[in-house]
Amino acid sequence: MVHEAVECTHIGSLLEEQESEDALLTKLKTVVAWNVNRYQSVKNPAKRRKIAFPACGTCGLSLSRPFSCLNCSYIGCWSEDHVSSHLSDEGHTFCADVKSGSVFCSECDDFIYDPRIDDAYVTAVITAEERQTKFQVAKKPRESFKPWIPNAKEAAALEGATATPCQGRRGLLNLGQTCFLNVVLQCLVHNPLLRNYFLGDKHNSKQCKIEENCTCCEMDKLFSEIYSDDTSPYGPITFLATTWRASAELSGYAQQDAHECFISVLNQIHSTSRGSTNVSCNCIIHSTFAGQLQSDVKCERCGNVTSTVDPMLDISLELKAKGGEIISGENTLAACLRRFTQPEKLGAKDYSCDKCGKVSHGASKRLSIRKLPPVLSFQFKRFEHKTADKSSARKIDAPIRFPSSLNMAPFTTVAMRETEKDSGGAAPSYPGPDAMYEYDLFAVINHEGQINNGHYTNFARFQDEWYRFDDDKVTHSSLGTCLKSAAYMCFYVKRHLDYKPYVTPSYVLMRETEAVREKELEKEKEAARMKEVEDALLATV
Amino acid sequence: MPAADVEVLYTQLRRRMMESGEWDHIQSILTAKLNESGWLDEVKDGSKEKARVMEPLSFQQLFEETTSKIASEIPLSIKREIMSHIRQYIIGQTA
Repeated sequence: MVHEAVECTHIGSLLEEQESEDALLTKLKTVVAWNVNRYQSVKNPAKRRKIAFPACGTCGLSLSRPFSCLNCSYIGCWSEDHVSSHLSDEGHTFCADVKSGSVFCSECDDFIYDPRIDDAYVTAVITAEERQTKFQVAKKPRESFKPWIPNAKEAAALEGATATPCQGRRGLLNLGQTCFLNVVLQCLVHNPLLRNYFLGDKHNSKQCKIEENCTCCEMDKLFSEIYSDDTSPYGPITFLATTWRASAELSGYAQQDAHECFISVLNQIHSTSRGSTNVSCNCIIHSTFAGQLQSDVKCERCGNVTSTVDPMLDISLELKAKGGEIISGENTLAACLRRFTQPEKLGAKDYSCDKCGKVSHGASKRLSIRKLPPVLSFQFKRFEHKTADKSSARKIDAPIRFPSSLNMAPFTTVAMRETEKDSGGAAPSYPGPDAMYEYDLFAVINHEGQINNGHYTNFARFQDEWYRFDDDKVTHSSLGTCLKSAAYMCFYVKRHLDYKPYVTPSYVLMRETEAVREKELEKEKEAARMKEVEDALLATV
Repeated sequence: MPAADVEVLYTQLRRRMMESGEWDHIQSILTAKLNESGWLDEVKDGSKEKARVMEPLSFQQLFEETTSKIASEIPLSIKREIMSHIRQYIIGQTA
């Protein structure tokens, strides 16, 4: 079933020549960038002049999905063979879909793939998006992505190195009701930012100064095991022991809640990360998962709004309405998020306005996401505890439909503010580009059965392929199978990361300042000593 | 209205709709609804899994097989809502 990749010799020979390669890739990048910019100017009514839309060179229709000839200025419809007829009539070989950057070869009569084309497409899209991004804070420009090019020393080090594939999959042994930990570990291992951090040797367990119970070291060891040549299932015994010692609530031989374990492990990784702080931490956990939630409380009488901002590492979504009934109707992730961000009435007795002081009218409170993290983790609150005693809890089994791609714009503070301002059905405008709000699903945790005798399994994606994990059993699966499963937790990663300028971490700055101060102290001490010696000598004269 | 005139009217309305940004606005509403209903993922996964076992793999065949049935699978409520958006725009333009 694995097709052998058939190369297009036509693109191969064209890309061999510097001049024709430049011409083709430049044309491709121009049309792709045009398409990215077109969406942005549409969203911003203030900037909206009449947008010139290309018309098909064959039928004259304004094109919503243009295909551009890569040889001349012809643009046309894919349908009715307009663009392919142009290619054969003019003897031009290649055309491209400006939205996806897919290149069609008329000689091969098929869409073709070449890494140089993929590269040119991604570069053009990211550059166009970077130019469009205006940060809210201090209007600072977005940092341009710079691909890593090894310097002489690095290139020399790479000479003797063996390249290892960036994918590793290994089942995890169930050590006695530990499936709750296994699913959390698989979701962390398949998290692209955590994977890059640990594979990039950012926390080397052999050099770490922490003597015992270092969860970062356990993560480092876990990655080494998963990316090793051994494909037999691995038992994360030391990880489990470290987690028990760090979190008394998770210890014991009973089944635990995967979400509690997830949050606990995140906190453990954070606290054992070098340079982690309690405020504005930029450890790998906070860099990856930390977002901000804004809570706006509006006085119903005078309209005064008080806003508070709170940090968040994940979002827990209710499956029950206020009255206690399980939600009916829309059972989708988007519906849960709409409920999460809808205005909620606060009782009159719970609120008194700072501005007008009246207590009679009450207030309304609304949550929104002020800052989106690179990785968004959602939990569906399926386990309700009737009393403090966990054993009397009930599980809500209602399936929730979730998508493989998610646009978070409607739930952000900045977009919700725009929608409130604007009356009528005109398109809301919010700072773009859209890619900053778009996320792709990469892992799902499932729970089947009841609270006390249930079982956890999970799905995880590598690039475009999905896999199912059931403790030690790992099988190839599909997106469809994953989406049909009953999800307890879903993990999404931002499609394109946005960078801000590099800032030396505070703990490094402190270290340098300390070093400078120590040197000064040494000099003073030395000078004082020299003076003592001199004085002693003079005294003897 | 004669067929040729309808075509001219369609071309003009379509151009105006795109240039004013209304086309893209309605398209983004449509995409969001199709995504939330699961239709987008069904098309994505269905065509991918079909391609996985197709021998020989042909874009044209995959395109034809996929497009022939997906339109019929769009939920009626979404179709109605989008049609009403389009209708409102046209009425506004031709009043």
